[in-house]
Amino acid sequence: MDPPLTNSASFTAGSNPESYSLVELLSFPMGSGGRLGLRMGSLSGTGEGFGVGDASVEESTVTDQSGSRGGRNGVGGGESGGKRRMDAGNFHEDESSKLVSTSSANSDLNEPIGKRMKASGSRDENSVSKTKAEANSGTSNKGAEEKSKPEPPKDYIHVRARRGQATDSHSLAERARREKISERMKILQDLVPGCNKVIGKALVLDEIINYIQSLQRQVEFLSMKLEAVNSRLNPAIEGFPSKELAAPTFDATGMIFGLQAQREYSQGPQVEWLDMQLSSDIKAA
Amino acid sequence: MPSNHNSIKTRFTYRFARSLKKLNKNRPASQSMKETYRRYHMIRVASYASMASAVGPKRAWSRAVLWKIRNRTLHRTLMKKSRIHVLRTRKVSGNPNDLRKLVPGGEGMDFCRLLNETAHYIKCLRTQVQIMKNIVDHCSN
Repeated sequence: MDPPLTNSASFTAGSNPESYSLVELLSFPMGSGGRLGLRMGSLSGTGEGFGVGDASVEESTVTDQSGSRGGRNGVGGGESGGKRRMDAGNFHEDESSKLVSTSSANSDLNEPIGKRMKASGSRDENSVSKTKAEANSGTSNKGAEEKSKPEPPKDYIHVRARRGQATDSHSLAERARREKISERMKILQDLVPGCNKVIGKALVLDEIINYIQSLQRQVEFLSMKLEAVNSRLNPAIEGFPSKELAAPTFDATGMIFGLQAQREYSQGPQVEWLDMQLSSDIKAA
Repeated sequence: MPSNHNSIKTRFTYRFARSLKKLNKNRPASQSMKETYRRYHMIRVASYASMASAVGPKRAWSRAVLWKIRNRTLHRTLMKKSRIHVLRTRKVSGNPNDLRKLVPGGEGMDFCRLLNETAHYIKCLRTQVQIMKNIVDHCSN
């Protein structure tokens, strides 16, 4: 979809300089390519004298909408959604007539939008989508990925249609849920050592389960050890007065560690000492 | 946010040391095997409880741990059951229900939330193991 769009862009910029000048196109620094594609899409919808065939109304409307969608994709700049929407655009270019003729739900959804766009004219459409595009380009790249969810479901309908899946809200929610799950699985994979090379959800889950079990076993083992050690330490700890429950809690800790190291700890050095002792493999939350 | 995790670390250490001290204070003089096992069990429960209370009630797993410990008798039966179950179904690979049984409070969660809680739980377990190792090291040499 993109190469013909850029070609027609240069063509119209040369032929209709009064309506869309290159200066106006280049005056927006961010997402100018996207806005370019958008205009070309709406232009092709109106069929103003260049290569897009205006054999039937349905076909032109469908290409129109795919063009505008491609434009918004360029502005948003999300890597995840980009390829998908490009595929959708390609699909519409290839099989737009078949889509309109066969799938009734899609044509029902597409036609009113396209007709409304035609009726309102290219200027209004451009102004509306320009504000939308600027709102999109203001956000960061990370925001664009999250923005794809609250966007109107119009974007996902094309993806669903391409895969031959249902277009209702349930499957959309299911898709969002699956994405969330895979994202969290990735986080867990980073967390569990040696889990990065494992492929497959079941095996990753198995690794995670193993790791948690080993950690819990370690806790058991360490508390066994602590039991033995604690009994040895018993008289030394019992010698201290039992006022620590009312006192600030770091006193008790300082006592347990201070017994061994024979040093005095205030709160600050105590915390620092703990941090020095702990190895740095515990990542931040 | 490393400061947040550090605070969990230090809070856990304080609580755990305090409960260790309390356990030591009222321990009987007998050194029978049963008594040793009981103390080991109490230390382990104390470590889990201090970690859960250090995390606070905003996490589902810590809430579940605290709730289980508060209802101690129920907790014991649950622990027994879960251990038997883990031993039996160890060969089943990658079943999310195994994970549900390992992460406290994971039975009622949907899968997304379970994974979220699992990540936090793993982090906290690691901290717990590290600190317990440190205490053992510094008490035994």
